[in-house]
Amino acid sequence: MSRRIIYICLLLFCLLPACHPLPEHQDSPSGNFEALWRVIDEHYCFFEEKDIDWREIHDRYAPMVREDMTKRQLFSVCAAMLDELRDGHTNLSAPFATSYYRGWWSDYPQNFDLRLVEQYYFNFNYQQLGDIFYGILPSNVGYMRVPSFTVGIGHGNIDYILNYFNSCAGLIIDVRDNGGGNLSYAEVLASHFIPETTTVGYIMHKTGPGHDDFSEPFAIEYSPAPSGNVLWTRPVVLLTNRSTFSAANFFVAVLRAMPNVTVAGATTGGGSGMPYSSELPCGWGVRMSAVSILDHQGRVTESGIEPDKGCAVGLDAVAALDGHDTMIDFAVKLITR
Amino acid sequence: MRLTVSNIFFSLLLLVGVAAGRTWAAEPVRPVTSAWTVEAGQVLRANTYLSPLRYNGWRAGVGLERWQAMRFNPRDWVMRLTVGADLDRTLSPARNSVMWGLDLRASWAMMWRNRIDALPGLTLGFGPEADLDLGVLYLPRNGNNPAQAEVAATCGLTAYATYALRAGNLPILFRWQPSVPLIGAFFCPDYGELYYEIALGNRSGLVHCAWPGSYRRFKSLLTADLRFGATALRIGYRADVISSRSGGITDRVEAHTVTIGISGEWLMLNPRRQLSAETETISAFY
Repeated sequence: MSRRIIYICLLLFCLLPACHPLPEHQDSPSGNFEALWRVIDEHYCFFEEKDIDWREIHDRYAPMVREDMTKRQLFSVCAAMLDELRDGHTNLSAPFATSYYRGWWSDYPQNFDLRLVEQYYFNFNYQQLGDIFYGILPSNVGYMRVPSFTVGIGHGNIDYILNYFNSCAGLIIDVRDNGGGNLSYAEVLASHFIPETTTVGYIMHKTGPGHDDFSEPFAIEYSPAPSGNVLWTRPVVLLTNRSTFSAANFFVAVLRAMPNVTVAGATTGGGSGMPYSSELPCGWGVRMSAVSILDHQGRVTESGIEPDKGCAVGLDAVAALDGHDTMIDFAVKLITR
Repeated sequence: MRLTVSNIFFSLLLLVGVAAGRTWAAEPVRPVTSAWTVEAGQVLRANTYLSPLRYNGWRAGVGLERWQAMRFNPRDWVMRLTVGADLDRTLSPARNSVMWGLDLRASWAMMWRNRIDALPGLTLGFGPEADLDLGVLYLPRNGNNPAQAEVAATCGLTAYATYALRAGNLPILFRWQPSVPLIGAFFCPDYGELYYEIALGNRSGLVHCAWPGSYRRFKSLLTADLRFGATALRIGYRADVISSRSGGITDRVEAHTVTIGISGEWLMLNPRRQLSAETETISAFY
């Protein structure tokens, strides 16, 4: 009996170390194509919102892959397949190129001319802090241009800017052409416009490879800037265009929930999926939207955030020739009316 | 009166001390067998949270092992403490991406041992073992998912076989020691959960039960201690295979390293301790 127990223990000892299987991939054109299709299939988070039949896309593109094709040819097929996702956060990176879907902004008017603002509104005489430039418009309205959230900024820096606008009736925050960056930097800026701890959105991640495998939305709460820092409670107009994307898109989603904030301009570019990285057997990198960030009402903003009612406005090209940014003029009117 | 009371107090203290001294003298001495080692070898690392691919490269590590017969029954029970650190540098199959791994490991085991009369020099032992591992995998090419924490606390079984022999005048002690965890807990985020979400406060579902279905590990240590006087040269081989799966994330480590170091028996003496001529010395190994 005891010998039997010893044998069972020995058997267990031998069986326990058997490893869990790992995915198998081949470094061939078809192997890399299938690996790409699979990693998107298992991790991409907006199939349903965009009504994408990813299996059908596989069947359409797979016949284009030949074992004798060059790497550039394979890259072209793979990039075209990824473009079907219509997602600015999805890229394929090879040593010779990075694929990038541009349709989310290239099919829309740009609605922004930096030179126009610098020359005709500030005569190139404005304050610069990091990549933010700011100044006071002749109508006594503060103007702050935030071109991205890739450069960190502290609460103290923002205090200096907001104190500069101390006598202003309101503030224009221009996030046109802001392609995003770090959500934490966006949070630092947003915290100066939030009077109390607020649920500003929700985050949902994939819980498995199925297209519907999502976690319950988890609330994202932003708190006001630490006490002693400036809290801006006067009117704010957020100027947006189609190139307001990713972290900037979420910044708009956060601030639009504040009662003193108006969103004006054009629909943002979206990009509400947080990117997740993976790679292919040939060494190419893959990036895709994998974690969905919802706004404070639980809505997906991947396709963009529309301006507030009656606040949709574009850049008039003819007026721009006369030195007028019709979107800034509209925002000034909103504040000074 | 005060003098009388203090005299009685110190007399009692002296009696207790003498009695205790007698008890200590009856206790056998239990030398500590310690080994300091460095190791190097090859490692395979895969973690599907970071990449679906297997990364291969080298591992370098340091380790300390400490054996001692246990106080309550030094003849039949021994304990083993190990601590160590490993650094892994691995490359992707295309060799264009580096993944780093850093692991800190500690284990403690107590084992019942039995000298096999039929084969003098052979000792077999087995018993429970507790493991604690803290590590991190870092893949710089990834954006929002560049790292994966690898933390596990487990209890399992370990066994060992030692065989002492002489090669000429050189005493050699061979040892094989396999270990497997059976139950415990390990950290793993959800399938597509970013650490950003964890930082936001979503801490649910991060700790998983480790059992043979979800967390498998096989540690195997093969050593030869070549005794040159009071110290010994240790050479050996260590295999460490870990496979875990939770929330659709598979983690794999396959490490094979060559170990070299010194070992020796050390005796910690208490100056207040009375050692008599008949005090027995019970080694963990010899």
